[in-house]
Amino acid sequence: MKVLSAIAFVACLVGVSPADAQTLPAEPIALAGGRVTISGDVAGSYGSRDAGWFDYTDYNNSALRTLRIDFSAAATVGEHVTLLGEVRSDNLGRVRPYALYVRMRPWTNHNINVQVGLVPPTFGAFPRRMYPNDNPLIGYPLAYQYLTTLRPDAVPGDAEELLQKRSSGWLVRYRYGNPAGTQGVPLVTGLRWDTGVQLHAGTDVVRGTVAVTTGTLSHPLFHDDNNGRQVVGRLELRPVAGLIVGASGARGPFVSETAARGAVGDGHDREFTQTAWGTDIEYSRGYYLVRYEGILSEWRLPLVRAPYLKLPLRALSTSIEGRYKFSPGFYAAARFDHLGFSEMTGSAVQGTLPWDADVTRAEAGIGYYIQRNLLMKLSVQRNMREGGRVVPRASTLAAGQLVFWF
Amino acid sequence: MTFRLQAATACFIFVTFVSLVSLVRAQASFVSVVSLVRAQASFGSVVSLVRAQAFTHAQLRVGSIRGRVDIRRVPAPAERRPGIADLGAPRLRDTQDLRRAVVYLESAPRGAFEVNEVDRAIMDQRNETFVPHVLAVTTGTTVDFPNSDTFYHNVFSLSKTQRFDLGRYAAGRSRSVRFDRPGIIRVFCEIHSHMNAFILVFGHPFFAMTDGDGRYRIDNVPPGTYNVVAWNEGTPSDPKSISVSAGGSAELDFTLR
Repeated sequence: MKVLSAIAFVACLVGVSPADAQTLPAEPIALAGGRVTISGDVAGSYGSRDAGWFDYTDYNNSALRTLRIDFSAAATVGEHVTLLGEVRSDNLGRVRPYALYVRMRPWTNHNINVQVGLVPPTFGAFPRRMYPNDNPLIGYPLAYQYLTTLRPDAVPGDAEELLQKRSSGWLVRYRYGNPAGTQGVPLVTGLRWDTGVQLHAGTDVVRGTVAVTTGTLSHPLFHDDNNGRQVVGRLELRPVAGLIVGASGARGPFVSETAARGAVGDGHDREFTQTAWGTDIEYSRGYYLVRYEGILSEWRLPLVRAPYLKLPLRALSTSIEGRYKFSPGFYAAARFDHLGFSEMTGSAVQGTLPWDADVTRAEAGIGYYIQRNLLMKLSVQRNMREGGRVVPRASTLAAGQLVFWF
Repeated sequence: MTFRLQAATACFIFVTFVSLVSLVRAQASFVSVVSLVRAQASFGSVVSLVRAQAFTHAQLRVGSIRGRVDIRRVPAPAERRPGIADLGAPRLRDTQDLRRAVVYLESAPRGAFEVNEVDRAIMDQRNETFVPHVLAVTTGTTVDFPNSDTFYHNVFSLSKTQRFDLGRYAAGRSRSVRFDRPGIIRVFCEIHSHMNAFILVFGHPFFAMTDGDGRYRIDNVPPGTYNVVAWNEGTPSDPKSISVSAGGSAELDFTLR
């Protein structure tokens, strides 16, 4: 109801605004002579009931039924230092810090930056455009949102236990570690940022970023839970205008110290890692834009007893997205996504199966700019899951979203 | 019968001759033959030609309006959004010149709407800034939007007067828009949200941009009393009335904000 009320409020704002006028504030708020800038985003989505748990970002929230309000600020301290932060509230709940870091640029005439704190994601292309005004559709790519059955704070004792949980990443519990049931993790979490140090340098043609962070791609952290650090890097080429080719890699301890100790005793917690590789390509020209992103992620979990997990557990995601602008302020977009998992052998009854159920999603939608910073989206999703214990295994979901930013 | 036919032919030739002489005299009263051809081409009828003659004669006795626009509080330039998700600091960009104002007649003298010539203007995209930030043109003007940066821009407007979207195009390329309706058009870049500009399209030629000192001059104003407006960054002044005499220069200053 909160989501519906908020969307109704935004709709009222739209209703009193002449369609072609720029009546709502459009620019960021500038204070102290432009040294402090504040911007905000409000996005309300409402869609079909997601009985198959395809679009849930955690146990309580679905990407298709969310009201998100966030405020970002940047404060420039001299020529070389900027403080940046963002707070966010989902469904009018608790306000959480999403980003908080200091950006240092030692030489103003060179593009070399050091960022320290709760820093932007280094890996992949999509996390930096997860803001609703950057995402042409309402749903997210599966790699960044779909909840697999893996948890960093609890691990299965054997392959049979893991295979039993297939498709139930929205609420999963395991024998070792935290006994409470909660959601699993996606391949890469774009909805929370990691804590660490990031170095970025580049030219107009080549850009590189490396970072050392506390958590992993699946499980960004503020406080470390396994005394391990993730190393993540990204290389980006922009050979011609409109073409961006990127490659990313990351490796870091994934399983928490408590879960590892519960499963295999002390001294092994840094062995249970997440390693990921990603490639992405974006090309745009005229009125169209096409993006591809592929991510291969591997996890190593404790081997407790037979039937053993077949390590590493692999997941491969492929996403292709396109957008075409038909007329000023009006566009159509589509995305095709597939998420597949490596196989392992469980009990005699289970046989050999992917460790989580493969998922395919196709989403198509339209967007209309009521004014420059007020966007209305409508989209339809078709989700299909191959196996697993959760039904329905296929569902068609429709959603609408209003996005306002300044 | 033959004589009557000859007489009629002679009369026809005489009338035609007289008409041609009149036309040559009319040409002499114009600034040049080229002007006549242009006027004829744009009007396309004898009635229009007569009106053009009347307006051109009036131009010989025109006056001007000049003065200064004082902008007390210059608006702050549009800042970048904080760019929280960016991996590094944004590139340096030029700042917009927000001190320029446009001064124009609220309503133009009769005939003024019919002499607009097809024109071209340029609004460049340079260092993530539209240059100039404000462009004032007459209806029918085609504005070119070259991209002088090494990266993409995407010029668009959702203004009521004219909606357009030029898509993404690279350095050295240019795309154009012809503005046929008077009004104010806000121009943006889809990729760089801090880039914005104004295009003011007038149905008459009686407007002027201020210079760096805020001074302006509107020439060729036919004698009469007019309401004059000064405009800066979306804010128009209250109209001020002023009389222009033949060959005279009227002074009118404005203070905005």
